[in-house]
Amino acid sequence: MSGYSSEERAAPYSLEYRLFLKNASGEYISPFHDIPIYADKNVFHMVVEVPRWTNAKMEISTKDPLNPIKQDVKKGKLRYIANVFPHKGYIWNYGAIPQTWEDPGHKDQHTGCCGDNDPIDVCEIGSKICLRGEVIKVKVLGILAMIDEGETDWKVIAINVDDPDAASYNDISDVRKLKPGYLEATVEWFRKYKVPDGKPENEFAFNAEFKDKEFATDIIKSTHDHWKALVAKKTDGGGINCMNTTVEDSPFRCSVESAKAVVDTLPPPCESTCVIPTDVDKWFYYQSS
Amino acid sequence: MSQYCKEVRGHPRSAQYRVYFKNVAGHYISPFHDIPLKAKSKEAVFNMVVEVPRWTNAKMEIATKEPLNPIKQDIKKGKLRYVANIFPHKGYIWNYGALPQTWEDPRHKDSTTNCCGDNDPIDVCEIGSKVRACGDIIQVKILGVLALIDENETDWKLIAISVDDPEASKFHNIDDVRKQKPNYLEATLDWFRLYKVPDGKPENKFAFNGEFKDKDFALEVIESTHKCWKALLHKKADGGDINCVNVQVHDSPFCCSKEEARCIVQSQNSMTSLGVSATRRCQKCELSQPYGSLGHT
Repeated sequence: MSGYSSEERAAPYSLEYRLFLKNASGEYISPFHDIPIYADKNVFHMVVEVPRWTNAKMEISTKDPLNPIKQDVKKGKLRYIANVFPHKGYIWNYGAIPQTWEDPGHKDQHTGCCGDNDPIDVCEIGSKICLRGEVIKVKVLGILAMIDEGETDWKVIAINVDDPDAASYNDISDVRKLKPGYLEATVEWFRKYKVPDGKPENEFAFNAEFKDKEFATDIIKSTHDHWKALVAKKTDGGGINCMNTTVEDSPFRCSVESAKAVVDTLPPPCESTCVIPTDVDKWFYYQSS
Repeated sequence: MSQYCKEVRGHPRSAQYRVYFKNVAGHYISPFHDIPLKAKSKEAVFNMVVEVPRWTNAKMEIATKEPLNPIKQDIKKGKLRYVANIFPHKGYIWNYGALPQTWEDPRHKDSTTNCCGDNDPIDVCEIGSKVRACGDIIQVKILGVLALIDENETDWKLIAISVDDPEASKFHNIDDVRKQKPNYLEATLDWFRLYKVPDGKPENKFAFNGEFKDKDFALEVIESTHKCWKALLHKKADGGDINCVNVQVHDSPFCCSKEEARCIVQSQNSMTSLGVSATRRCQKCELSQPYGSLGHT
């Protein structure tokens, strides 16, 4: 429906797994650089990385050409987010807004911390469980200022425009009213999600208060500006791969053929999936704060 | 280690889906009547039939009215039943099932709840880490019990942990659950209170103000439902349309031969068997699904 499709290579839950995005013509594109940030006036695109209630930490790979979605690896092991009771995996469809970038060279005025070097993150709160790699259109409702291991890591709260109740959601106060407990659960989730891995609780700016739609839209715009500077080579992106097929005037723009060549070198799609370790099912219990 | 194996008929999430059980000799048995309640005679270790794996929604149950009582999906108002997700929960929050050889007699008013039984084996919430599969037979330690009154029927909910859980040695009684898994019992209470509200039913109630009773109390409840079951199998209680066919309760008037049991299974099911149920992880939801799954919970 969005015109985008995906193509997987190697088996899910393996180190080699990659999910590439394609445009309506079937050409390979970058989900980081080639999907427009805006789908419509006041409507943003979102690339879904992690479907609600799943655990595999899948991410847009900012350092690989064409930025496919792949599973994060830490200490040589495929990464799965722990279940922090009462939650199972992620409690929203989770992903990123394309054409945004939280610049690690830029200290955010609100949080006092530098960006986490990734596109801006989104928690999509609608009823439907989306698929990994799905590109959807969302209404932005608000934003949470998380500080994850000392880096600014904004979390946009949004709803799929196709959600049956989408018309009732126009700002963060609607989430409070219509889904009581959800925002509180969201803060707790982000506060604690790395504790099972031995990391400390995360912190937040603004006393963990959710800011509204207007504020969120400003933050997104500013990360879009950082991204523009990145793909125009005005900012040094370090190891970020800026290869793209659609960004006009970007020195990193390449042909559709070279994009295809990137994907063609990789292992083919795979029918089976790898096994998810059973310890991923463990539920971690902590006293409520 | 398991003395039992499953045989699946029909497709998961269909009205025809059945999970039959066989003993180690390969003979069909009833999970309701033919699996011993007690796993070991020394300690309070019981066999449990897993019906609903944690975090799934399909309402799978032992079919008490069908011969040999396979597991099937409950149907209400002509539709396959799925339990709603009550925020913050996803499906069932424990592995859920039943103790074999127990029965909550609907003609018997329980003295503590003042309600009659719900006509089913006694229910168990197994709180260990592992997500089990539908039809698993596991051994559990009983820790306590909750007295749910579900639509005015007594519906005890045992709290138990698999003896194989890595932390099983830390759990001996209901207080250990309070200490080691904070908020789990509160969540359990809330879950049972609210789980039918999305279907338009009222909140459920509890005896003892929703307090969880301890292991000793639970063991007495189990003993009493086991006695009711014995009476049922010996035709001393009227089971209504409960099917008491069994192959191993030899002094039961309902006992049949293994050949008769095989004929029962074969005649009940015209579909090709899918063989022993194997499971795989679904790519979409990462939950264990049987091979051959068509749809999605």
